[in-house]
Amino acid sequence: MENTSLKVKNLIKYFHDPTTFQVLKGVSIDVNKGEFLSIVGKSGSGKSTLLYVLSTMDTDYEGTLEINGNILTGKSQNELSTFRNEHIGFVFQFHYLLPEFTCLQNIMIPALKLGKFSPEEIEQKAYESLRLLDLEDHALKKANKLSGGQQQRVAIARALINSPSVIMGDEPTGNLDSLNARAVQDIFKELAKSYGQTIICVTHDNDFARNTDRTIEMKDGLIIN
Amino acid sequence: MKKSVNRQIAQVHLTSKWGQTVVAILGVTFGVSIYIFMNSFMNGVNKTQDDMAFTSMSHIRIYNEDNVHPFNPVQSFYNSSQTLFNIRNRKSIQYSDGIKNTLGIISFLEKQNEVTNVACHLDFSVFFRSGSKKINGLISGVEVANEDKIFNDSQKVIQGNWFDLNYRKSGIILGKVLAENLGVKVNDNINILTSDGISKNLLVVGIIETSIKEVDKSKAYINIASARQILSKNQDYASDILVNIKDKEKTEPLIKRIVPVIPYQVESWQVANQQLVAMTQIRNILAIAVSLAILLVAGFGIYNIMNMTINEKIKEIAILKAMGFSGGDIKTIFLSQAVIIGIVGDILGVLLGYFISMSVNQVPFEIAGLKTLPIQFSVEDFILAIAFGVITTLLAGYFPASKASKIDPVNIIRG
Repeated sequence: MENTSLKVKNLIKYFHDPTTFQVLKGVSIDVNKGEFLSIVGKSGSGKSTLLYVLSTMDTDYEGTLEINGNILTGKSQNELSTFRNEHIGFVFQFHYLLPEFTCLQNIMIPALKLGKFSPEEIEQKAYESLRLLDLEDHALKKANKLSGGQQQRVAIARALINSPSVIMGDEPTGNLDSLNARAVQDIFKELAKSYGQTIICVTHDNDFARNTDRTIEMKDGLIIN
Repeated sequence: MKKSVNRQIAQVHLTSKWGQTVVAILGVTFGVSIYIFMNSFMNGVNKTQDDMAFTSMSHIRIYNEDNVHPFNPVQSFYNSSQTLFNIRNRKSIQYSDGIKNTLGIISFLEKQNEVTNVACHLDFSVFFRSGSKKINGLISGVEVANEDKIFNDSQKVIQGNWFDLNYRKSGIILGKVLAENLGVKVNDNINILTSDGISKNLLVVGIIETSIKEVDKSKAYINIASARQILSKNQDYASDILVNIKDKEKTEPLIKRIVPVIPYQVESWQVANQQLVAMTQIRNILAIAVSLAILLVAGFGIYNIMNMTINEKIKEIAILKAMGFSGGDIKTIFLSQAVIIGIVGDILGVLLGYFISMSVNQVPFEIAGLKTLPIQFSVEDFILAIAFGVITTLLAGYFPASKASKIDPVNIIRG
């Protein structure tokens, strides 16, 4: 039990627009701490929908969601956003940095929001992860002045700043060339192994999936493998 | 800590699009400055008008109106409906004329708290005669010192001395135009003729110039004692009693109190000059309407800019929410941008409004005793202008901000 990071039971979700359609038909998964999990499947299989339910951003579902022993089903939006801030980090396909802010600020914002450490400590931590991702020189550049690969690495640094227990990626390498994709994947692997962070990624990329600890394949709202 | 992140984000949003921010701020600035200018200008105009009006008008006037008496003795005697009667060429008797017991009324008025000055008048119309010239006009018999306290006449006497009337019982002070028309100077003699046919020679001891042409053309002042003598009235007689009070707007309560005691007509300046009150109010309404319209336009400008900003930043808002910012945080971020725009716009608006007003105050405008266009500042206008500026921006910012706070990150991020 203690080793379980994330647990969903009998997850059912409908889309109502344009017609009522069942996307998830009773999905149950347990993910262990420090596990690097990938979710694959054709588009429309419900894998992204599943990820957004797991991320706590989507609350319109049936079933239960539990992360680190906290039952999150039925909590208010404000409680969930506080929870996300502390426990979940995100990496999206299109990096989604705040373009008007510097890389450093982008990385610092979730930590400043959490307010656990002083701004000086946070800045130091942000610099460390920039160094780790080989982006130190770009710290004070505006986010929109960076290349796609660099932006994605900044997004990863941002996802890591609060040392979340779970990191979720929606096609984190989908927009990157193979070299950068490889680099991102190595970072994830390292995180799972060294820091015990749970990583859940939705991906199209079979190479990427092959390199993870476990791969879940979805089809028509069900886990088939 | 938490607040400072939101503020930091708001600040970056404001500074990264300088142009938009400046436009929004200028909207508020113009609204606020025009509000201040319009109101200060209108106050100036109102004050000038009041000043002009009160050169010849007191706050309260007590006089004896020569009523038409509908009393019909025949009708009251034969009050049966069976009687028909017909009176031809009926005449009224003048029952009373002027105020007889002024001393009693004055001592009563002086006991009232609000009353600052009381003066008696004895006005009558005359012909001024000098050589073959004959001009129709009006003489005011005045209590020299008291009259000066109410109307400040001694400042308006351009030749001679107002207080000479005190000891020159046959002295007269003429309006400037009247003296010119009569062709007389100080120390010349003129003759007056009353409607009762009494004629008297008087010595011109001064020339007075008010800002009102009509008065300068036809009015003259003599001591009230001489006036009583000319009209063969007793020492207690006057045609009007003029009263000034501390706050000219508050005539109502005093009048309510004194009307039952005083057996004559008591009239406040508001009642006597309703057009004056009406004009003042219309000007105030106009000033407020124009400046609020400008603020409204500014408000729509801000609303538009905020809405645009939020549509542009919809992805960023979704990301902030994904990273753990709550709806309240998002609202704070955008609302604080509106507040900053409001405050900066307000400060600039107050400065600009003051500057515009001061500049307008330098514009020459030499009519009716004015030298420049009148401006009158009041603290109230500044406070209201600031309040309107902040309220407008808050309202204009509130709706886009709450829209932003309700954005569902899943919809945006999934695309």
